[in-house]
Formats: sequence, C-alpha cells, structure tokens
Amino acid sequence: MTNPTTPLPSGELHRFDRRTWLIGAGATMGGLLTLPLIRNALQMTAPVFVARNQRYDGQLEQTIQDGLIATGLDPAGLRGKKVLLKPNLVEPSRRSPQMTTHPAVIVAAAEVFRKWGALVTVGEGPGHVRDTEMALDESGVQEALDSSKLKFDDLNYSEVGWLKNAGRKSPLKGMFFPQQVIEADLIVSMPKMKTHHWVGYTGALKNLYGVIPGVKYGWPKNVLHYAGIPQTIYDINASLPKIVAIVDGILAMEGDGPILGSAKPMGLLVIGTNSTAVDATLGRIMGFAPAKVGYLQLAANRLGPVKENCIEQVGEPWQSVASPFTVIDFPHLQELRASGVLVT
Amino acid sequence: MVLLDDVLARLAEAKTCGYHQGSQMATEPAALTALALLAHRREKAALPLLHWLAGLQSTEGSIGISESQATPCWPTGWAILAWQAAQRSSIADPKFARAIERGVQWALSTQGELIESNSPQGHDTMILGWPWVAGTHSWLEPTAMNLLALEHSGHSDHPRARQAVEMLQDRLLVSGGCNYGNTIVFGQELLPHLEPTGLCLLGLHGVFDATGRIGRSVEYLLRELSGKTATISLSYGLLGLAAQDRLPAEADHWLGEAAARTLARDVSSYKLALVALASLGTSCPLIPQSAESRVK
Repeated sequence: MTNPTTPLPSGELHRFDRRTWLIGAGATMGGLLTLPLIRNALQMTAPVFVARNQRYDGQLEQTIQDGLIATGLDPAGLRGKKVLLKPNLVEPSRRSPQMTTHPAVIVAAAEVFRKWGALVTVGEGPGHVRDTEMALDESGVQEALDSSKLKFDDLNYSEVGWLKNAGRKSPLKGMFFPQQVIEADLIVSMPKMKTHHWVGYTGALKNLYGVIPGVKYGWPKNVLHYAGIPQTIYDINASLPKIVAIVDGILAMEGDGPILGSAKPMGLLVIGTNSTAVDATLGRIMGFAPAKVGYLQLAANRLGPVKENCIEQVGEPWQSVASPFTVIDFPHLQELRASGVLVT
Repeated sequence: MVLLDDVLARLAEAKTCGYHQGSQMATEPAALTALALLAHRREKAALPLLHWLAGLQSTEGSIGISESQATPCWPTGWAILAWQAAQRSSIADPKFARAIERGVQWALSTQGELIESNSPQGHDTMILGWPWVAGTHSWLEPTAMNLLALEHSGHSDHPRARQAVEMLQDRLLVSGGCNYGNTIVFGQELLPHLEPTGLCLLGLHGVFDATGRIGRSVEYLLRELSGKTATISLSYGLLGLAAQDRLPAEADHWLGEAAARTLARDVSSYKLALVALASLGTSCPLIPQSAESRVK
C-alpha cells in the first residue's frame, strides 16, 4: 500500500442536489453553494441519531427504524425501491468480531427496509480477500443471509459500469462501479466503528471503498491508494447519490484498526441520512477532532456538515457516550486527536 | 473424489464461465475451466474456451478481465497456462503457440511500481513483481500467476521469474502464511489467509527456504483447512500443499464436501474448476513437474 498521506487539493464545490432524494430533512444547501463566501455563510446542517445500550440480541430493528425516521428518511418513498445494504467485511475472522459489521445489525436493517416495501440486497466487495464465500462464512453473515432469505451480491466480481467522478478531488476521471450499486435507489453504508491506522478512523464514508470492484481495482484496491485515500473516499461518496448510514458501534475496535485492533464495547448505533455528519459525530465519540481528518476536511460543507454546531444530535448527545479510542503511537494519528495522547 | 464426474460435467456443459452462477463470462474462470477440462482429458469441451481467450488477446499480448473489459490484464497469466496445457494435449494448435508467445512478451514487459520509501511496511517494496492494475504496486497473487505462466512456458531462469520467487518469499509472514501481500504494517504482522497462501506455495514449489517460513506456511494450511473451508480457499490451499508435497490424507474428502456445497448453492465455474484442479493433487498441471530445486 502506498503512503496515504497526500496534500489535500483545493477544488470546486461539489453539487450534491441529487443526494437529497428520498431524504426529507438534513443537508440541503449544496446546489446553491458555488462561491466560497456563500459557502462560509451558509453552513450545511444535518441530524445524527445516537442510540446507546444497544445489544446484538436486542431491539435493533426498532432502533434503526427510529434512527432513520428521526434523521429524515421518508419510508413512503422506499416502496418498490432497490436498497443495497453495504456492511464492512474487509478481512473477516471469527477470532475478531470487532472487525466486521455484525450480522444481527445487517438483518435488522434489512427487516426495516423490507417492512417499508423496499427490495433489499446485501452487497460487499471485500478489499483484502478474493474469496467472498470465506468472508461471508468467517463473518457469520452467510448464516444470517440464509436464515433471513436475503440476497447477496459479490461486488468484487459484478458487471461494472463507469460513472464520471463527480467529486474530482483525485485525478481519476471516473470510476467503475458494480451495476447493482449504480442501479440502487438507496445505498445503506453499514460500517463498523473502528480506528484506522492510515486515516485515523473509518466510518460511513470510508466503508464505501467496498463498493469498488476488486476485479477492476485489485486486492487491495491499490488504484485508489495511488490516487489518494482521502481524495478517493470523497470522490466515491460524491459520485454515488442516495446514501444513508447505519454504524455498528456495539462492539467497536480501537488500537491498530481496521484489522488488528482490540475490541472496545460501546453499545452504540449511530444513524443518519448524511454520512459526513455521521462520521463527524463518530469521530467526536471516539476522541478524534473530525476537522483534522483528511477525508472529512474534503467532505465538510460539500457532502455534509462536520462542525458540531451544524449537526443536530438526535437521541443521545454524543458527549454522554464519548469514550476516547486508543490509536497506535504514530504522529499522523496522534495529531488527529481532539486532545491529549492516548496510545495502545 | 466423489462428485468429480458431476463437477466435470457441469464444467463441460456450462454456457458461460463466470465467478458465480449466472454471472457474466470472465477470463479467469474461463482459463481455469479450460485448464481443469484439459487436465481431466475433456479436450473437446475446453477448445471453445481456449479460442474465446485467444480472440480476446490484445495486439500487445494481454487478456482483460472479460469481453467488455480489456483492462486490467492480470488474468493473462492464467490464459497462458491454459494455452500451454492445450499444447501438451491432442488439441495443440499453432494459434495457441502464437498466443503464448505474445502473452509471455506482454508479461515480461509488465511490472509493478517500485516504492522507494521508508514506509511503515515490512515488505521489500523494491522487488519486481506484477500488479493487479497497471501503474500500481506489485502484489502477491498476480506475481504468482505470472511466475507460473513463465515457468510453464520455459522461462524459469528468466530474471523476472527469479525476482518473482524472491518476491513471494519476501511476502511470507514470519509466523507462516501470507495475506494479499503486505507483511508488517506499523510494526505489527498482518493476518494470513488461506487462498493467497496456497497460491504463493504453488508458486514456490521446489524452492529451498532456509528461513523456515515455507514450512510454517505449510503448517498454517494444514492447521486451518478442513471440509468446512470455503471452496476457493480450500482448493488453493490444497494446491499449495500439493506443490509442497504435503497433501493431507483427507484432501479428497474435503474437496468432495466443497463440491457438494458448490453444486447445491452456487454452481460457479470458477469454484468448480478449482475443485477439479485441486482434486488432481500432485499431478495437477499447475505444478511444474521439474524436480530441480530452486534455491534463492
């Protein structure tokens, strides 16, 4: 993997008017913001829902439904629509349940969208393993798919289509996406709440690396690394409209994430219709300063709000559930902390 | 292996060779299917696949991932291996000989990007190998594929083949096994995975290893593989063990279980071809039959 730290390019503001489709509230000013002065004056806003005391054997379906509605998703608009649930199954191992999205959260989300009349599919293109059957077995997701009669799309090997890079922060003119991703009416980013040894922490925005097909970009998806990790995180999210986020923070990961870190029980679900706002809130809960994180610097007020006063907290206030996550002792990570030093 | 006839019948009758049941025709599954059919003496069934692959070859000698995607070209090594197998069979054809020659030329002209840096990664970023995608770093699996292709094409002594052996050895984890191609990042050894470990050991057949990492990788596979292992990982794992002459007695039984699961759940040419190849054990044509030890 290449060194991911590259200068953040300045660039035009991204138009994000398509992102408001299906979403009744939240970040809605994008299409107007074409001048820096106006952008500074008119900050985007979005709500984020935080639920505490969550358990994998608890009432996840109710929590997810409440969270999505509270953050502006309109269930009536989902009837007959294609909804793609995108969990994080990067490199699953039964020995590290803190690494991947728990099957119970996937199934609960699927049931919510099914109840709203949507056509639900689960899809993932694991970034480090070519054997997707193994990834599904090791994560326990295959068993859940079977018992819930859920269809799975292996995004690493799907037919692909090309979309113009709407973000333009990386040099990539466009990106290949699986047809299922292109054709989805709504993509549900379902990351694990984890530290990440290259970019600080990973959430809803970074999770969408997993919709990029390995058959076109490799294992790992090295093309994206060469083009810049923060920049391509931004570009992918800017190019795919209609994304909502449900973060599995029940059993989270700290330390040397996203693979080798330790389990950190948090009992949280973090939900929102704007991934940038969700990730900013995640960061605050984990003890990071979101404004220092490269991909959030790019996303701020282009894809969504990062500033605390622009994010309406629904459910639990983030301060009440905050618990700093340890990171490995390297300067590029320590400088992302909100305050102090906390190492493994 | 039980169900082998069923597996071969499915492969021979498949209308398309894809990664999953019903998915589009792709070059890697097609090449592996051709290899499996040839190895099991189904030459007639293999022939259309070999011609299809030849028809997709670019003027530079590369093969893309599918009919509609001419890049990236990492499956080229598999296509060379399939044509090589054809040349050793009753369906040898000068057309395939030309395709092999062009494919090898392409492989020898292609390399991953070297990274000169003091990055926090444990592997040697300056060893030449092959990338998944042009313009990116060398990774373990495409390097193993191209190494096998060079060896079967009579280029074992080519400097690129020797560098590939060196690279695969470098990517073995000290504690055994390997993952997609990093070893240590930020001071911590990464996790091994079955599929790349099997493919790596296949590429490292006959290599003398004084570090003990090949031996520990064999032990890792022997410890982790079972009849419950996912089909692709099991097949590559057993191919790696066969290449190191350490096949477990249960191999055939495990492959039978994997074949049954695959036939019941996802009749994928890719998976079935790998099962059929792994069922050949040490006779699998992917394993060069030279007894000469390759010393780094």
